[in-house]
Amino acid sequence: MFLFDWIQAHPYQTVGLILPIAIPLILFQVLPLLVLLERRGAAFIQDRVGPSRAYIPIPGTGLRIRAFGMLYNMTDLVKLLFKENFVPPFAFKSFYWLAPAIPVATGLLTPALLPWFAPIAYQDGSAIGVLPGTLITTSSGLLLLFALGSLSVYGVVLGSWSSNSKFSLLGGMRASAMMISYEVSMGLSVLGMLLIVGSFDLTQIVDWQGHHTWGMFVQPVGFLLFLVSMFAECNRNPFDVAEGESEIVGGFHTEYAGVKFMMFMTGEYLHVLVASALLATLYAGGYELLPFPMPMFVDTGVGTSEVVWQWLDTYWIKAHLGGVLAVMLGMTGLLLIGFAWLIAGRRANYARQKAQDRDLRMREYALYTGAFSVLGIGMILGAIMSGLFLHTEPISRAGALAAYSVPIYPGWVDAVTAVIQFHVVIGKTMLFAWLFIWVRWTLPRFRYDQIMGLGWKVMLNIALVNLLITAIVAKAIGGGR
Amino acid sequence: MAKVVPRPDHLSFWERIYFVEIFKGLATTLGHARKSLLDADHFKVINYPEVQPDLPRDYRARHRLMKRPDGSPRCVACFMCSTACPARCINIVAEESPDHHIEKRPAKFEIDLLLCVFCGFCVEACPCDAIRMDTRQAVLAGDNRRDFVIDRTKLMDWEPKDYPLEDTQSQKAPGGALHDQAMEAFKSGTYH
Repeated sequence: MFLFDWIQAHPYQTVGLILPIAIPLILFQVLPLLVLLERRGAAFIQDRVGPSRAYIPIPGTGLRIRAFGMLYNMTDLVKLLFKENFVPPFAFKSFYWLAPAIPVATGLLTPALLPWFAPIAYQDGSAIGVLPGTLITTSSGLLLLFALGSLSVYGVVLGSWSSNSKFSLLGGMRASAMMISYEVSMGLSVLGMLLIVGSFDLTQIVDWQGHHTWGMFVQPVGFLLFLVSMFAECNRNPFDVAEGESEIVGGFHTEYAGVKFMMFMTGEYLHVLVASALLATLYAGGYELLPFPMPMFVDTGVGTSEVVWQWLDTYWIKAHLGGVLAVMLGMTGLLLIGFAWLIAGRRANYARQKAQDRDLRMREYALYTGAFSVLGIGMILGAIMSGLFLHTEPISRAGALAAYSVPIYPGWVDAVTAVIQFHVVIGKTMLFAWLFIWVRWTLPRFRYDQIMGLGWKVMLNIALVNLLITAIVAKAIGGGR
Repeated sequence: MAKVVPRPDHLSFWERIYFVEIFKGLATTLGHARKSLLDADHFKVINYPEVQPDLPRDYRARHRLMKRPDGSPRCVACFMCSTACPARCINIVAEESPDHHIEKRPAKFEIDLLLCVFCGFCVEACPCDAIRMDTRQAVLAGDNRRDFVIDRTKLMDWEPKDYPLEDTQSQKAPGGALHDQAMEAFKSGTYH
C-alpha cells in the first residue's frame, strides 16, 4: 500500500524509474523490425518476394499466420539457441566468451544518452523537478556516447584475436584499422554542429534544431561525412571489410556459432539502430517535428488576423495537443489503410496464379486486409475525435463543439507529448535505418586500400576544411560563445 | 533477357569522384523496391512449390515413350537412342514383335534418370518418334536410387489430354482426340 501511495503521489518519479528498463526493451522490439526491413528491403530491391515461408497454424480455423516474415526472427532465434555451443579447442577461452557481449553491451548503453523526448518539468511539492528525455543526464553526453561507441571495436578485435584463427584475425585487423581511421573524421565532422550549437548536451542540440533548423541543412557537408563515418563504424556496406565470404571466410566471427554468433549479429543491428538514432538526433532534429516554422494566423481581436511564423516546438505541441495527435493518428491511419490496400493487391495477384494453397492464402490475406483496414479506420476516427474534442487550454474556440470538448489533465498532456516525440524519434530512426539498408543493397564494397585512401586522404581533409569554415562563420555570426 | 553493358573506355569527371554515381545507383535500387512494393506482378520469382513453373513444351524434362493407337509402344528396339546416349543411361532388351509389319519390340526399356544428362540426343536419334522429353516434369524426387530407374510402364504412363491438340502423335494414342480414326487406319494397315 505504501508503494501504491508513493506511486500516486509521485507519478513523474515513477516514470523516471521505469524508463531505464522500458527504453532498452522498446528498442529490442524495434530490432526484429529492422531485421525484417533488411530482409524485405533486400528482396524488394532484387525483385524477389522475401521471407514468406515460416508460419504459425491456428488450429481449428485453417489459418496460417505468417506475419509478413516476422516469424523468421523467432525461427532464427530457436535455431541459433539450439545449436551446439561450440568452442574451438585452440581459442583463448576467456576473451572468446567475452567478445560477443561487448557490442551488445555498448549498443544497449548508448541509447541511454540519446534524448527520446523533451525534458518535462513538474511540480514536486514546493520544488520543481525535471524528468529528462535522456536516461543519463550529463552535459558531456555526446563525448560519452562516442567513448562508448568506439568501445564496440573491442568486441571485433578480441573476438578475432581470441579465436586464434588467421581468417578471424585478418578480419578483425581490417575492421579495427578501419574503425579507428574513420573515428577521426567522425569526430571532426560532428564538431561543426557542436560549434554552432555551443553545447555537448544532446538535449540542447535538439532544442537548438527545433528553433533554428535541422542540422543537415546547417551542416550538409558535416552531415554527409558523419553519415559515411557511421557506415564505417557499423561495419556496413560499402565498408564491411570485417567480413568477406570471398576472401576471409566469415571474418572476425568465423569461429563463432550458435548463441555467440547471434550476439554478434544482435550487436551489429543494435549499432545500426543506435547510429540511425544518433543521426536523427544530431542532424534531423531529434524529437522536433519540422525543420522550418509554420505560418499561423493569430486573431488580433478586432476581426483581423496576422501571420506569425511559429516553430512547432514542445510548448506548441502541448498547447495544440489535440491537433498534433489528430495529424499523427491520421497519417498512421492512412498508412495502415494503404498497407491494407497493398495486401489486397497481393491477394488478387495470388488468386490469379494456379497455386495449391490458394484458399489458405486467400483467407490469410483477407484477415490481414480486414484487420489493417479496421485499425486504420479506427485511427482516423480517433484522429477526428481528438482534433475536434481534445483541448488543453481554457476554451477559446466558439461554436457548438466547444460544449463537448474534453479538458485533459496536465500530467496526461506531458505523457502524450512525450509519446508523440518518442514516436517522431523512432520514425526518423527507421528512415535512417532504411538508408543503411538501401545503401547496403546498392553499392559494391570498397577495396581495403580505397577505404583507407577515402578515410585519410579525402574525408579527413574535407572535415578539417568544413570545421575551419564553420568556426569562422560561427564566430562571425554568433560572436563567440 | 540479358542486357550487355559495354565497359566504358574512360570515366568522366563526375564518374571519377564516384559521389554522383552513388545517387544514380540508389535511384535505380529504389525504383526496383518501389515497383516490388506496389506492383505484385513485378516479381521475377514464383511461389514454388505452391505455384509450379510454366515450362515451355520444348523444355527437356523427363522422358516418355509414345504409343500406337492400340496402346503398344512405338519403339522398335533399334538401339539408336541407347547408342546415341552419352551417359549410357538407356537399357533396352529387345524381343520379337507379334506384329508381322514390325521386326522387334522392347521387352525391357529402362532409363536411369540419375545417369541421364538430359541432352535430348535420344529424341534426335529415334527414327520413329518413339521417345520424347516433353513431359515438363523437371523436378524429380525419390526415396532411393531404384526409384529413379524408370521402366516401360512408367515411361508410357501419360494421358493425351495433358498434351495440346496440335500434337497429333500424342492425340492418336488411346484416349486422344484423334484416336478413333488412327485406330481405323491402324486396323486397315495404312497407319504409319
